[in-house]
Amino acid sequence: MKIAYSHLSQYIKENPTIEQISDSLFQLGHEHEIDSGIFDMEFTPNRGDCLSLNGLLRDLSVFYTVDFNQEIYMEKLEDLQIDFENLSESICSQISFLKLEIDQVPETYKNALDNYFTDLALNKNNFFTDVSNYLSYETGQPTHCYDANKMGGKLLFHEIERNEEFETLFDKKITLTGKNAVFSLNDNVINLAGIVGGNSTSCSTKTKTVIVECAFFQPEAIIGKSLKYDIQSEASHKFERGVDPECHEKVLRRFIKLIGEHTNIKEMSIISYKFKDNPIHQLPVNVQKINQIIGINITENEYLNYLSKLQFDIEKDIIKVPSFRSDVKTQNDLAEEVARVMGYNNIPKSEISIPKNEKTNYKDIENKLRFFLLDHGFYEVINSPFEKFESEDSIKVDNPLDSNRKFLRTSITNSLVANLLYNEKRQKDSVKLFEISDIYSSKKNSIHKKRKLSIVASGRIGLNYKDFSKRIDKKYLIKLFKEISLNMTFDIKTLPRDSLNTKIKNEIVSMEIDIDNFSDDVLNYKKLSKPPIKFNKYKPISELPSSYTDISYSIKDFSKVQELESLLLNYQDSFIKQVYVFDYFQNEKKEEIKIGFRFIFQSNVTTMTSDQIELIYNKIIDDSIKIEGVEVPGI
Amino acid sequence: MPDHKDIIPPEITKDRGSLHPINHMKDSIMSLLVSFGFEIVDGPEIETEEFNFDMLNIKKSHPARQMHDTFYIENKSNLLRTHTSPVQIRGMLEKKPPLAFISGGKVYRKDDDATHLPMFHQVEGIYVDENVSFAQLKDLIYKIIYSLFGEDVELRFRPSYFPFTEPSAEVDILSKEGKWLEILGCGVVNPIVLENCNIDSNKYSGLAFGLGIERIAMLKHGVTDIREFYKSNLDFLSQFK
Repeated sequence: MKIAYSHLSQYIKENPTIEQISDSLFQLGHEHEIDSGIFDMEFTPNRGDCLSLNGLLRDLSVFYTVDFNQEIYMEKLEDLQIDFENLSESICSQISFLKLEIDQVPETYKNALDNYFTDLALNKNNFFTDVSNYLSYETGQPTHCYDANKMGGKLLFHEIERNEEFETLFDKKITLTGKNAVFSLNDNVINLAGIVGGNSTSCSTKTKTVIVECAFFQPEAIIGKSLKYDIQSEASHKFERGVDPECHEKVLRRFIKLIGEHTNIKEMSIISYKFKDNPIHQLPVNVQKINQIIGINITENEYLNYLSKLQFDIEKDIIKVPSFRSDVKTQNDLAEEVARVMGYNNIPKSEISIPKNEKTNYKDIENKLRFFLLDHGFYEVINSPFEKFESEDSIKVDNPLDSNRKFLRTSITNSLVANLLYNEKRQKDSVKLFEISDIYSSKKNSIHKKRKLSIVASGRIGLNYKDFSKRIDKKYLIKLFKEISLNMTFDIKTLPRDSLNTKIKNEIVSMEIDIDNFSDDVLNYKKLSKPPIKFNKYKPISELPSSYTDISYSIKDFSKVQELESLLLNYQDSFIKQVYVFDYFQNEKKEEIKIGFRFIFQSNVTTMTSDQIELIYNKIIDDSIKIEGVEVPGI
Repeated sequence: MPDHKDIIPPEITKDRGSLHPINHMKDSIMSLLVSFGFEIVDGPEIETEEFNFDMLNIKKSHPARQMHDTFYIENKSNLLRTHTSPVQIRGMLEKKPPLAFISGGKVYRKDDDATHLPMFHQVEGIYVDENVSFAQLKDLIYKIIYSLFGEDVELRFRPSYFPFTEPSAEVDILSKEGKWLEILGCGVVNPIVLENCNIDSNKYSGLAFGLGIERIAMLKHGVTDIREFYKSNLDFLSQFK
């Protein structure tokens, strides 16, 4: 909601700067941004009472002297004769109607009404609707204006449950479905209550006689409707968060005053219906409780002074919550009021001491498995549980994000296969992945949960000269898991690539197993990696293709092996992404060591050309053969 | 020339894998909280409306309960939990105060854009005892934030609204660029929630807090797009060894 600084400051005697008001609003919990003297406010959903100029001023009055000098029409009003019936009093407990006829529609606006449209750069609609919109801004109470000449017949408020076409005053045609609270005239819906009025009874620039409706609707009856019908409605935003049920007469008398400032009023009459008394929340004065909740030590006088400034009535030992503060019901609510006024950042902290917890064996087996897999080059991944295809026992999402995410997965393996293909497309020739997740299924109308470990791997066993030529297969996984759990048998599968849209032929092995199936043997595994101590800073990754070059060296002077390794494994070039020794052979007869290095190149900004790679390749060769006794056969 | 026995072949570098950075961050935060005295409790990701909303004082009219915010399943019989708070409800129903629980894991909300995902991770904690106060909550939050971001970090508390805490606060830290960044939500446990769990709110009070793991991980690792965490790209994952 946008509120102009100038509109606020005109009622504040101390004349604070925009920065001072901004600081006060932050302290009170009202987030906002400022643009050209306008506060763009974002209120928490419990503070519907702040969705207006006056609402904000009420809160600011704890810091400033606020003079609400908005005049209202004070004279006695005639009773309005209207054929109205409320069939849903539980939704609308209170409603008022004002009928008003003017001599002429004014051509220009003045005072607060003019400032509202000018300062907030708003478009005008028609006179009565403009006054209604301004009043909603000033008081927080939405009102709806009907053209009185279009209102012949019986007006009914009720909740309907039938499909019905309805054209809004924005010329938008919608079909009402499900339950909707509406106003009907002669059995036709003319107003979707609390959301938007209808076209058939709306005011125009020519309207001179208006019926203004001012109502309280239960938020539950309004909530979600504007989203359902895709209608941007400030009224619904306010009704959803709760409006002041006791403000109607004051608002309608202010309406009259504003009209009277612009044109001559020929006739006016009003009627108010109260179908149910609104409860006044009362709480005992208990400063000890407030001090205990916040952890402070203020006096009762200080406490009550804070509440008085927020317009709470205090009578003897009772605090009466104002009707606009539907969010305040408990001592904790009052404590929050005090804490806001004091400023959360001004409340001193108090040492906390929580008794030590004895349990330390949380997910021991699972964690042992995770680190075992890390030790063997596996990467932990996390996938979304949503998938496109239904499988036996899968759970259906009632309101999926899209048709590709209609079901909850009953297996992790498919997610990991998708991860494998994703990495293979990025030239990864050794992919070892695992995921541990809860998997849910539906059997006989009950939901079952299993915590599962899933593994998918393919390609080289490792990127070192010992494992480089070895391929991942079932034997590899069986051998691996025997290491951690000797007595278990594992159902390791080879997954076919036929339907995977890939040209790579490497065997894909997979395993999915309930964590509960692992025995405590796992806990005996000792060779554990440690979690990283630091949180590494992420370097943006490249989505461009990588290339590799292998360089094989022949070394006669064995003492130079380490020098060569040191040079190449730490070779500095921004395009070299990775270097490793993929081949090593010591030929004792020829007294020669052959060692092969693989260089992987990738740029973050461009696909590397063969010329670029050759340039780096030549530089590597030049630098390495400077080492005596090191040769590149063929060069 | 050295004797053959003196030759040291190249080291066989075992290509060590990595923990997922979100799980690593979650584990780190939970270990920290365990060191403060909290006990880890687990709960299901598929929840009932009762535990996910009603018991937490989230009224039927609350926007979070709408179909556009929460994933419902099996004809609205259940839902995917929107926070890990129901785990604490289950914990409070099982045990009597004093109690200090944390729960961490996946939660689901119906969002999907550059800054929000339909699945993300939370760690939440609750401490219930006699005379637990907002001032103690502040002390705990300072300890958590200082442990995560160092003791020179500047932080502020802002009033906020959560139906299950009252008073409620959001906590921001000041970035090196001078921008306030929201880090966590917290508050004094609403006595209605304690009473829902059969805990005498006249005798006991509590504090609660919740952190979004992705948010913290993004700040700690310098990741700017939340979606990177879930592409399973080895070039990304291998940076977090």
